[in-house]
Amino acid sequence: MQQPETDTTSSHTPSNNNLPFRDQRFRLSGNHIFKGVLILLIFLILMLVFSALVNVIWKGLGSLAASLATEEIQFAIRLSFFTSITSTLICILFAVPVAYGLERLNIPGHRFISVILEVPLSLPPIVCGVALLLLLGNTEAGRALAEHGLKFVFSVKGIILAQFFIITPYMIRVLKSTMADISPRLEFVARTLGCSQWQAFTRVTLPLARNGIIAGLVICWARAMGEFGCSLMLAGATRMKTETLPIALFLNMSVGNLEMAMASATCLIIISLVALLLFELLGSAILQSSERI
Amino acid sequence: MIHLVNLSKHLGNFTLSNVNLTVQENEYFIILGPTGAGKTVLLETIAGMHQPDSGEIWINGHNITHQYPEERNIGFVYQDYLLFPHLKVKDNILFGLKIRKVPPHTMQRALEQMVALLKIEHLLDRFPGTLSGGEQQRVALARALITSPRVLLLDEPLSALDPPTREEFQNDLKRIHQYAKTTTLHITHDFDEALVLADRIGIIYNGQLEQIGRPLDLFYKPRSQEIARFVGMENIYPAVVRQYGQDKYVDLGSLRWRVISDLEGEVQVAIRPEDIILAREDFSSSAQNRMRGVISAISPRGGMVKVTLDVGLPLVALVTAQAHEELQLELGQELWAIFKTTAVHVFK
Repeated sequence: MQQPETDTTSSHTPSNNNLPFRDQRFRLSGNHIFKGVLILLIFLILMLVFSALVNVIWKGLGSLAASLATEEIQFAIRLSFFTSITSTLICILFAVPVAYGLERLNIPGHRFISVILEVPLSLPPIVCGVALLLLLGNTEAGRALAEHGLKFVFSVKGIILAQFFIITPYMIRVLKSTMADISPRLEFVARTLGCSQWQAFTRVTLPLARNGIIAGLVICWARAMGEFGCSLMLAGATRMKTETLPIALFLNMSVGNLEMAMASATCLIIISLVALLLFELLGSAILQSSERI
Repeated sequence: MIHLVNLSKHLGNFTLSNVNLTVQENEYFIILGPTGAGKTVLLETIAGMHQPDSGEIWINGHNITHQYPEERNIGFVYQDYLLFPHLKVKDNILFGLKIRKVPPHTMQRALEQMVALLKIEHLLDRFPGTLSGGEQQRVALARALITSPRVLLLDEPLSALDPPTREEFQNDLKRIHQYAKTTTLHITHDFDEALVLADRIGIIYNGQLEQIGRPLDLFYKPRSQEIARFVGMENIYPAVVRQYGQDKYVDLGSLRWRVISDLEGEVQVAIRPEDIILAREDFSSSAQNRMRGVISAISPRGGMVKVTLDVGLPLVALVTAQAHEELQLELGQELWAIFKTTAVHVFK
């Protein structure tokens, strides 16, 4: 094949292939329009998100220091951290074994179970809240649990349960895909080397799922932090009692206390940004370590 | 010693039916079969990943059919290595000993021995993802061997390696087996690999163990057409056996070849391409089968040249590049094909 090099990728030499000749000018201008539309759409969305957020932060920052000094905002921050961390920890305790079990045990109907578990993902949180309230409110089950110290309705425990209810399906979903990426044959090899099922899980699958678990923790914690609708229904919005940051935003907004509302919103935005940043950092760490793998 | 009794397993598209097999102590046994013949399922069943549908698995006189994988003490090496990606090479190798809570100094000695045997000293502190395929395969083998398994199961250990690495690792497998003498069951689809490594070979086809024998027995006396094709018999034709006095012949259309066989009636005959001599002129020799043909194709294969001769049916012969040069072979040329009676393999 000692022919002179012909550039087969450019279309202005139609002579030596059988493809129909296409007008290069038309293609170029078509590409330009396509690119232009893409860039315009990116810019529009960016403007919307950016201006909305900056507007809030701009208005909130001025009075942020003063608002942070109030007992109400401090209470809301403390309560938000306490409930979100607690619910996330309980969530991981359930989600890891559940995701692993659904992925590996081949339980009959495991697809169906997965679908049921994922329903809260697509439901409006406020519907979840109503459902929990009806289940645990003025019912036998609710009273029995309350007698044993688990009073969920209109209490901090209710906030934790609401957050748990909302974030656990997410966590299960993330962890299931993480577990699915880990070859079951790795565990099998571990077992030929003498591991029991439990040892193979803790020594092989769990360490390999570490990055997925951390990513799930960050996403779910951020969601728990911002959870509003479900806990509003179950735990109510009582000032200085079940007042998390989103509830504080809602309460202050509804009485027209804009400064406090903006301060709550700013706190939430900052927390989200930190979580997002953390997630991105972890993401690149995961990428690097998966290159190692 | 591995002893499989009437082992059957159906899994997805793979079926093993009534596999009976005994691998002797210290033997290197290779199961040979095309991809998708159920070979991996067989190994995984022996190691305990799947419960057999029926039949029994015995190892060193113990029925292990219903034992957990971790109770079987079987070394398993996969084609794709499956090293633990989160552990350094050293911790991968020591994995089995740590589970068994072996004392540190014993562990250290075993590690040094393994590492020297497999020549992987320089890799110990690296993560598996940074190793080449050949290196990973060595580590996987070290990880399996260090626990002194009662049997070693190798699932196409050479298939994923590039040719030079494959040859090197193949020689290492031979050397390591001579040293460690672990009873080994190795599966592959590569007959050359089996020829070099195996003490005995079993051929698996459609989930059935079709023939077991020493490598050369299979090579020269394949029991069926599939096996003949699989072990590299190129010229396979249907024929009919005829007896004339003391001598036996096979008729293939217009051709008649002298053969040695106990079979009668309709049979298959096969000739290895390298057993056919090409000559410009007929010459008298001890070879009984001689026929004239015209070259219909010439193509290089490996270091040899594959010549297809039309003798009434296409007959493939392998000659060296040098012979090709000296005979000045070209398409349409008339040649004599000559082969001995014993070169014609007759089977049903």
